[in-house]
Amino acid sequence: MLLEIKDLWVRYGGAEVLKGISCEIEEGSVVTLLGANGAGKSTTLRAITGLVTPAAGEIWFDGKRIDGQPPQKIVELGIRHVLEGRALFPYMSVLENLKVGAYLQKDRTKMSDTLKRVFSHFPRLEERQGQQARTLSGGEQQMLTIARALMGNPRLLLLDEPSLGLAPKLIREIGKIVRGIHEQGVTVLLVEQNTRLALDVAHTCYVLETGVVAACGITQELVKSDLVRRAYLGL
Amino acid sequence: MDITGSDVVQGIINGLCMGGTYILIGLGLTLILGIMNILQFAHGEVYMLGAFTVYLLSVLLGVNLYLAVVISMVTTAIVGLILERVFLRPLKGQFLSYVCVTTGLSLILQTAIMLAFSKGTKQLPSLYKGSFEIAGVFVSRERVVAIVIALLLTLALYTFLKRTKYGLAMTASAQNREGALMQGINPNLMSAMVVAIGSALAAVGGALGGSIFNLDPYMGGLAFMKGITLIVIGGLGSIPGAVVGGLILGIAESLLALFFGSQMGIILPLVLVIVFLIVRPKGLFGHD
Repeated sequence: MLLEIKDLWVRYGGAEVLKGISCEIEEGSVVTLLGANGAGKSTTLRAITGLVTPAAGEIWFDGKRIDGQPPQKIVELGIRHVLEGRALFPYMSVLENLKVGAYLQKDRTKMSDTLKRVFSHFPRLEERQGQQARTLSGGEQQMLTIARALMGNPRLLLLDEPSLGLAPKLIREIGKIVRGIHEQGVTVLLVEQNTRLALDVAHTCYVLETGVVAACGITQELVKSDLVRRAYLGL
Repeated sequence: MDITGSDVVQGIINGLCMGGTYILIGLGLTLILGIMNILQFAHGEVYMLGAFTVYLLSVLLGVNLYLAVVISMVTTAIVGLILERVFLRPLKGQFLSYVCVTTGLSLILQTAIMLAFSKGTKQLPSLYKGSFEIAGVFVSRERVVAIVIALLLTLALYTFLKRTKYGLAMTASAQNREGALMQGINPNLMSAMVVAIGSALAAVGGALGGSIFNLDPYMGGLAFMKGITLIVIGGLGSIPGAVVGGLILGIAESLLALFFGSQMGIILPLVLVIVFLIVRPKGLFGHD
């Protein structure tokens, strides 16, 4: 397993947000976390990258225990987290945003190779490389956050609500991008409110309900179950 | 007394010169505030410490003045690093403890310097003796040197932030803390760097201030206030804002003092701050 979460508990103040979540992600797969607002999807991602400290439980990445480590150490192991709400550097140019994405890359030639590859996937960003990030459209900003994460050549990419606030046409575009990333051999953990998009791209699906895993399994099989469809997927 | 045109020109040059020292203290404050989200209340004392280090080296030990300034930059940066590691980092996010500790620190530094150096007015040697005449106005060379040094250091800082990997990482950390964390940027390294750089710049500011005006252990308090004022005028976190804010503040003080007396020269810029806070709270170059 590339990532393994064992009985993870997270508390914010007095409230329990995650109540013993376990989950496994195989190398090379696309896994989605579904669930309503407040189910604990974003918190799970934030616990993986060390932005919140778990109260109990373990997180293992590639055979190393990572819970309790500071975020920069976790990122260094090859995990990238595309935060909800994009978290761009708004007053820096597109190119500068991407350069900061390659902060950990010490080899300059490798960095420019990665930059070329990223630009070939996102030609719009190459056209707009001199523009400040805040002047991009919502869709372009989302592309930029994903592109910035790819500049770090991650093994595992965590995507938190990449479709948020985007028009339907752009949401389909995001789906294509996620598939493209997977084809390059990157493992993806996708959190989505847009169930259709998530089920479309994911092999494995976990459904969270108020901090516990309510259902999980192969996406194809899960969508066949009437109970799951009605209760959690809204299909 | 009549105020002539040459008085006004003289006033502007003095103002630019004061502005230069304000810029050097303001840059550190604005960067530290942007990246660490804390106001470094002892930053004025770091400025004072930098000035006294130059005094110790150049006046008491006879080291060349410019070499003394460079040494003071390094030692003051090291002092900054120690302050960051021992006081600022452990208190991050605890606003009230932070204010108490840094305020206390500034009092301790003032008293320590007062005890270490006997009372009495102290001044640093002139940066460059003599004066020259342009269009009937006598301009002292040391003031021009002070302005040039301040602007060159600002340019160096700007280039560092724009062109180097660590500079970009610092800018990024100021614009989105979590976004920067997720690129693998170590926030502790960033805060150490920003305090070291800010302290080194403040040391030069202290040296320039101390060679043109006098040195005393309490010089940091006023300098700190000027730093805050120029941030309000120029806009938080903006380097061009700090430069323009510092120059406006320096010139305004100097000209207002010329026309209305030196007391007004100190008070009226604070009125400017109030006006800015009401009309344009983000400052001239600041972000929302």
